Amino acid sequence: MKTFFALLLKEEKALFTSPIAYVVVSVFLVIMGYTFTLTLFVSRVPTLVHLFFQIYVLFLLIVPVITMRLVAEERRSRTLEVLLTAPITEAAVVLAKYLASLSLIALMLLLSGAYAITLAIFGAPDWGPIYSGYIGLLLLGAALVGIGLLTSSLVGNQIIAALLSLSLFLLLWIIDRFGWMLPDPFNALFVNLSLLVHFTPFATGSVFLSDAGYFVSMALLGLFFSVRALAQR
Amino acid sequence: MANSDLITVEHLMKRYGPHMAVRDVSFSVGEGEVIGLLGPNGSGKSTIMRILTGFLPPSAGKARIAGLDVIHNSLAVRRRVGYVPEDAPLYNGMRVREFLRFMAEIKGLSGTAARKAVAAVCDRLDLDAVATKPIGALSRGYRQRVAIAQALVNDPPVLILDEPTNALDAYHVIGVRDLIRSLAGRRTVLVASHVLSEIERVASRIMILVEGKLLTADALQEGARARRLRLRIAGPPPAILAVLGQVSGVVGIEVESASPERNSSPNSLPQGERAGAATYLVTAASGAEIAPDIARAVIGQGFGLSELVEPPPNLEQVFLDLTRRVRESEDKAA
Repeated sequence: MKTFFALLLKEEKALFTSPIAYVVVSVFLVIMGYTFTLTLFVSRVPTLVHLFFQIYVLFLLIVPVITMRLVAEERRSRTLEVLLTAPITEAAVVLAKYLASLSLIALMLLLSGAYAITLAIFGAPDWGPIYSGYIGLLLLGAALVGIGLLTSSLVGNQIIAALLSLSLFLLLWIIDRFGWMLPDPFNALFVNLSLLVHFTPFATGSVFLSDAGYFVSMALLGLFFSVRALAQR
Repeated sequence: MANSDLITVEHLMKRYGPHMAVRDVSFSVGEGEVIGLLGPNGSGKSTIMRILTGFLPPSAGKARIAGLDVIHNSLAVRRRVGYVPEDAPLYNGMRVREFLRFMAEIKGLSGTAARKAVAAVCDRLDLDAVATKPIGALSRGYRQRVAIAQALVNDPPVLILDEPTNALDAYHVIGVRDLIRSLAGRRTVLVASHVLSEIERVASRIMILVEGKLLTADALQEGARARRLRLRIAGPPPAILAVLGQVSGVVGIEVESASPERNSSPNSLPQGERAGAATYLVTAASGAEIAPDIARAVIGQGFGLSELVEPPPNLEQVFLDLTRRVRESEDKAA
């Protein structure tokens, strides 16, 4: 366990000492602040639904930037050789990288909590959709980081890893738009692969285990195949 | 496997697609030995080292460290091995002490034990002056020392060093060489290099690897077996070559150098040297004692013999002989 905490601490330090984390958080807060202010003053309704969909889109664009360096950079600089010849498992390495990246997602969500507090001070928001929205965003972040980590484990170039993640995320975003045109049962399969189809209920106040299961499955698949990719060197 | 063998490799093979990087390599290394693995770039040295450290799986064959299989007991093996990869890949953003502390912790040390281990390796490798500097700002020599320090931090019984003096300046080369020598007897060390003179200075036994094949597990013994004599003889070379060729046990003769016959005055030659003297290198059949017969034959024919010495085994010659033999056998097979 101590070994794992040492790995996690190293990953957290690597993340928070790089300018990427601060740029990502700043961009996130500026765009969220703009959206929150505008929607609040225009609609005058104490809700965060618009904000949640905005964060959903931002996560699709930001997560590839967070995850691109995780393994690809270690592979390029050959530090993976130092790391994986130490007595630690590939699973511990992958999990430490995953949790460190997820902590940045959690930090961004925590900071966006300021908007919910603002609503609570100046109005009476319905807390149900706010709680479910945050749960959905955390699950979405968990799935996206899992997939981003996998693409970073597969290639030795950070830019290619980021582009691969972004392409996958965009595909999973729009897959339901055309998926319904396919014959049965492929239409149901493709529609159910959509990130938006599973995120929308969370953002609008409905929590279904099937939606949570989808995001958790995506995250676990990403982690599993990342470990396999690392074991294959 | 002898009880004292700490590293055993049996029929090891590694294939990268169609390319065979390691071909049926077998050897063992005893406890406390410092072994050199010599071979040109791309000969498979790094691949063997990566297999021994559990970084790469072999395509076939077995490798064991302290009796533990490197695949099936990978974590236990990695606890016993300190590894310095080629070119010392390190985390440039970390500070030296922070990095060593991290390495100590992932190798199972914690708290005071980790702090003491880091202090000990910093002291031993003279890293105190740069302990708080980022690794990315260090010179190549210091980077190499940090890489060696991380390998030693948990005091492993086996140390594997891949090209540890590569691209270092003379001062740092001497430092790394002294460090490796100081480990002899206390740790089992496997050092890979493509520089013959480096390996020769640190290793007690030298293995030669070419194109993935282990040509010899003990090049020095190989050199001692192929005995060579150096003779300085005055007289016409064709006649001398004929005389030397008739001596029983002689398998090879080379004319190394000849003194000028006409264009130099006798005064310019060393005392006792006659004009027209040449140096001959005579190779004897394995184990044959040919020196007395050669001396008798040369003097008996009236030639002036001014020198007859048996030089120490020449590793360079062994390397060239072995690689030539491999190429010849491959050509024959083709």
